[in-house]
Amino acid sequence: MNSDNGTRLSIAPDLWARFFAGQRLACARLISKVENEPELLPEIRDRIIPRLHGAVRIGITGPPGVGKSTLTSGLARRAVQAGHKAGIIAIDPSSPFTGGAFLGDRVRMAGLIGDPRVFIRSQASREGHGGLSPSTANVADVLDAFGMDRVIIETVGVGQAELDVLTCADLTILVLQPGTGDVIQTLKSGIIEVADLIIVNKADMPGVGALQDSLRFLFDMNARTKAKPVPLVLTATAVQDKGLDEVYAELERLIRQHHESGRLQEKKRVRLESEIKAALEDELWGRFLSLGGDREDIAALADRLARSGESPYPAIREIGSRIRMQFDTAKKD
Amino acid sequence: MADKNELLPERKIKVIIAKPGLDGHDRGAKVVARALVEAGMEVVYLGLRQTPESIVHAAVEEDADVIGLSILSGAHLTHFGRVRELMEQEGLGDRLLTGGGIIPTKDVQSLQGKGVGRLFGPGDDLQAIVDYIRSWDAARSH
Repeated sequence: MNSDNGTRLSIAPDLWARFFAGQRLACARLISKVENEPELLPEIRDRIIPRLHGAVRIGITGPPGVGKSTLTSGLARRAVQAGHKAGIIAIDPSSPFTGGAFLGDRVRMAGLIGDPRVFIRSQASREGHGGLSPSTANVADVLDAFGMDRVIIETVGVGQAELDVLTCADLTILVLQPGTGDVIQTLKSGIIEVADLIIVNKADMPGVGALQDSLRFLFDMNARTKAKPVPLVLTATAVQDKGLDEVYAELERLIRQHHESGRLQEKKRVRLESEIKAALEDELWGRFLSLGGDREDIAALADRLARSGESPYPAIREIGSRIRMQFDTAKKD
Repeated sequence: MADKNELLPERKIKVIIAKPGLDGHDRGAKVVARALVEAGMEVVYLGLRQTPESIVHAAVEEDADVIGLSILSGAHLTHFGRVRELMEQEGLGDRLLTGGGIIPTKDVQSLQGKGVGRLFGPGDDLQAIVDYIRSWDAARSH
């Protein structure tokens, strides 16, 4: 993590050559490296970023079982029919106990498998608790550099507040289904506010009208109080491939609109900002550890405070000033 | 960051579980998939009616370490053989192909002669499957 010299370059030149020549296995290998070897990230980002084509990242989110994978499959198929290349990142949750994961989204995407215009990658959420895996944003860029111009990011089944998709994706589709609560649920803050487009899926089930009414009530109020445009609410029955032409048309309209309004560019800037912050935090944490801070010290401190019932802040201030002093000394040398 | 989940193994073993061909009995595949998840592996479940081509295609995109096939239809010689052949073609020759089903001993021997790993049958312990995959992975040079 804190190797400062130039010796950390360690991706075989052959892998890069095969990746840029369009070999699928090389792309898959590189994604594995992004997922599993964070020390390689600087090299990967250096090589990938100049090769980005500006793929549009489409987030698909919603509660478990509402049909996100089926909808993803239907939209990806329409995207390739329209001449695009579609990357799909399908995320399912990791077990907090064993770290294992059951990744089942491909079951709904059988129609796409084998299509050279599509690249599907399943991801376990691992340490991500916002509906994505920590590496999802970087995997999306790998797919972009590989030549995909639409990257669909399907989140884990979410509740109300898993919002990582908001920064990771350029625009977000929220999928809901009838029978999941009354109007009070739609009035709550969180995920419902981030959607650029809402799909009421399983429109063949009873309760579609009630859900649409609840959403209309919410967005009628919002229209008067907020500058944010009200998302369109469309109905679909993804498993029967019904309503998806309209969804796809609206999606492409939104992409054009966001492109013209500069919002795609703004999203890119926000993602870079959070990448820089996160990388610096890692770097500083590494420095802290190398300056004599110690994970065991922190564990011992927590242990002591848990028993004594004291506030941690005096100790935090003390550690902070110790780091500042060491940092100042290091600067003078 | 590296200091999270210190108790968990660093690298996750990624396994594809699939049922090739026309064989609708997927309970065994699901049970094995869950056992591997419980053992900390990341399992991509493909489900029913897969072709050798669709399985290997998925294994390429997922960069899977292991492919596990469940076959109860009697078509094991064809399917295991073809999947192994495609794995070699697609650059996955260094990955493990294993699986289970109702497979006569002489067929097991013939398949293992063609580069297929250990095959499991009714009554085998789930832990034996977990241990087998783990020891294969440990012996493999990364």
